[in-house]
Amino acid sequence: MLGTILMTEAALLLLPVAVAIYYGELNVILPFAVTIGLLTGTAMLMKIKKPSSMSIFARDGYMLVALSWLFLSAFGALPFVISKSIPNFIDAFFETVSGFTTTGSTILAEVAHLPKSILFWRSFTHFIGGMGILVFVIAILPKTDGTAMHIMRAEVPGPTVGKLVSKLRASARILYGIYTGMTLLLTVLLIIGGMPKFDSLLNAFATAGTGGFSILNDGIGGYHSPYAEVVISIFMMLFGLNFNLYYLILIRQGKSALKDEELHWYTGIIAGATLIITIYLTVLHHPFGESLRLSFFQVCSIISTTGFTTADFNVWPVATRIILLILMFVGGCVGSTGGGLKVSRIAVLVKNSVRLVRRAINPRRCDTIKINGRPVDDHTVHGITGYFATYMLVLVVSVFIVSIDGHELTATITSVVTCLANVGPGLGEIGPTGNFSGFSILSKVILSFDMLAGRLELIPIFMLFTKYAIPRKYA
Amino acid sequence: MYIIIVGLGKLGINLTAQLSKEGHDIVVVDEKSSVVTSVVDTYDVMGICGNGATVNILTEAGAKKAKLLIACTGSDEFNILCCMFAKNIGTENTISRVRNPDYVDQHLFLKEKIGINMIVNPEYETANEISRIIRFPSVSKLDAFAGGKVEIAMITIRENNPLCGMAVNEIKKKFKANVIVCAVQRENSVYIPSGDFLFRQDDSINITGTRSELSTFLKQIGVYKQRLKDIMIIGGGKIGLYLSELLSQTGRNIKLIDSNERKCRELTGMLDEVTVICGDGTDQDVLDEQNLENHDALVALTDIDEENIIVSMYAMSKNVKKVITKVDRHSYSILNDVGLETLVSPQIIAGNLVTRYVRALQNSAGNSQINTLYKLVGGKVEAVEFSVPMDAGYENIPFKDLSFLPNLLIVCIIRHGRIIFPSGDDVMKGGDNVIVITSDRILEDLHDIFI
Repeated sequence: MLGTILMTEAALLLLPVAVAIYYGELNVILPFAVTIGLLTGTAMLMKIKKPSSMSIFARDGYMLVALSWLFLSAFGALPFVISKSIPNFIDAFFETVSGFTTTGSTILAEVAHLPKSILFWRSFTHFIGGMGILVFVIAILPKTDGTAMHIMRAEVPGPTVGKLVSKLRASARILYGIYTGMTLLLTVLLIIGGMPKFDSLLNAFATAGTGGFSILNDGIGGYHSPYAEVVISIFMMLFGLNFNLYYLILIRQGKSALKDEELHWYTGIIAGATLIITIYLTVLHHPFGESLRLSFFQVCSIISTTGFTTADFNVWPVATRIILLILMFVGGCVGSTGGGLKVSRIAVLVKNSVRLVRRAINPRRCDTIKINGRPVDDHTVHGITGYFATYMLVLVVSVFIVSIDGHELTATITSVVTCLANVGPGLGEIGPTGNFSGFSILSKVILSFDMLAGRLELIPIFMLFTKYAIPRKYA
Repeated sequence: MYIIIVGLGKLGINLTAQLSKEGHDIVVVDEKSSVVTSVVDTYDVMGICGNGATVNILTEAGAKKAKLLIACTGSDEFNILCCMFAKNIGTENTISRVRNPDYVDQHLFLKEKIGINMIVNPEYETANEISRIIRFPSVSKLDAFAGGKVEIAMITIRENNPLCGMAVNEIKKKFKANVIVCAVQRENSVYIPSGDFLFRQDDSINITGTRSELSTFLKQIGVYKQRLKDIMIIGGGKIGLYLSELLSQTGRNIKLIDSNERKCRELTGMLDEVTVICGDGTDQDVLDEQNLENHDALVALTDIDEENIIVSMYAMSKNVKKVITKVDRHSYSILNDVGLETLVSPQIIAGNLVTRYVRALQNSAGNSQINTLYKLVGGKVEAVEFSVPMDAGYENIPFKDLSFLPNLLIVCIIRHGRIIFPSGDDVMKGGDNVIVITSDRILEDLHDIFI
């Protein structure tokens, strides 16, 4: 399986090669070719060694996903290193992990001068990572069995995985179909708005995966196009939604899609946050229209964990920055390409707190948590509270390790928050205008780990540190 | 094909496993969320948690566009209700598990008036299979084709068997018996043997032939067993009841043992000429007291696999000629190693029936009808009986000029009631029935056997 995944990455790397040829960047072809060669070689080696046992259990699904992502990022970093775009391997690894996990945190201060094919690969990793490469492999595999479900569960964000149709492969294809369709639509809309074609495609990749790598030094704001900003805001919001809803619309059950409770929470949070920030900005003597646009863009960007910026929110009032920080924790919906804790988890956590208080008032009271009118069993609730606790634990430990670098408090804390939630920019020196190049190697490794942990929802990454982590079995 | 399976008991899970392996779109429905989760985890199917006999849940499961619904919960009434609802919502075909003996006589009514396309009674089918084995005790498994004209029998080659070390093509010369060896199980692999395949001790072989040819052959290799007269059945459940009825009709002496007194009284009311004993049939003292060693056969049919296995092993040690064991958890591969020769599992038998029905539905667009389908050697090998259609394009061509897929054997041709064991010069003709054996693939149409 791991071999197949590496082969898939090699095949995907042909796209930037095509870009390099198209733009005549002949000197960049070599790094890609070397990477493709290495990937194919490793994959072949893995294929030769037949795994001893073919059965994949839940544990193996997690392991496979974690190992795949690690390998993918390590190999994906090679073009940056060999082409000397990012000479340091750790830096390149950080950048690639940031790409695949759709974080969008960068260590590059200057991106505009990079070769177009390298930029393409950088943004394309967002697109691959958004829906998940293993889901992609499942979609193209000729035959899947039940065991693929374990893989899907480990890679798709969210506490539960629902299938759209009975066959997993068909489900994966539908998901990728919707995903690619929406990305193309966005690209076309951006081109209509006058953005260069290349930029439109790359920004669409970054939006679709809710990544946030920008190809201009000053982000989306650099295009000075309110049209582009509004279009991207809307699409960031859309990509943060559960893709099952789009499927419901496709099969003409749009009404039941509108009744989805998570959708209500999500839109509610966006509306509330936008409103408060708009009021703040208007008070600060921005025109109302501009305030609304800026705040809507920033709220969508952060809650969907994209991390695009149009304004330097470091200079905004503290309360608005805190709102953005809270949104980083919330994240997108289950089954979206976004990161964070996920809206439905937040909903369950809030309802659980309410239940806790009710129980304290009347200990004999029986109460079930319901989402979409259906009871959530206690097993799931415990899972969610446990997940939240683990999330916070990882956060605290990582913050401590990063703090050894001696950066100021805001940057130290938000760097971990933003990486764990796969957002991108933080506050302070890693805000919209800054980047992560000032961090030490240790911090970069820890932050890369956080990004992977956040994207794969913690468990798979922790499995790497157990005795089951033998890559041989998963070749 | 879009299939809904309601009820995830042993049968439901077995059907899910078999049908999802064949690549169908399956939705499973059960009320217990834990069962649904574990099935969805193991097989590539969609799960819905809820009461399958409500219009809401059936609609959610897609009963409107489903080609087939299989209701196999533990309750007959629930199953029938579920099928009626589904049929009205728009499901094309429905299969219901109905096993209460009281309802057995109503099959025709259920089919014609209620519109249930197929009634499956795993217990009855199991009893039927056991009775066939008892009537031909030399083999450990027996499946019939073409209305019983041709049979596939499984035997295991023990020590001192003249077949040890013999090649497949020597059989015809040495024994002058018209039988064909169609599949050999050796340890965990299955072979469809060619002429130079050598038999070894402990191979389980499947041989095809008519009853009389098989008998001659088995006599010659010394595994023929005399007619079994005195049968002891442990467990008076539904299978025990059906089996006693079937066997007592053939004039055999049946002793049926069950520990439940009320049940025993009910059984005596329903069965004549059967000795019903009230006692714990898994107790060694009771077995000895009831003269186990003087019986020709023991059939262990209690609800608990472990008890069946232990009773069977005890019977083997007492040199009972034929021991038949019912096991529900047939997935344990060591069962054959402990020396139990004849295992029956209601789930597998019912699974075969349903699979055949599904295959035939799938094939209704094609033209070669599937008449019979058996899964042999733990489902690894399939034996399928097809009718050859008129003007199919491959009839009247000698076999040596056709190219067949590897691991495939045309075992015999049945033409106007005559059995032909084909050689290279034989041909298929329209209206013939052919039996095809194959491993590791799924045959839906006779077209599929060619490269």
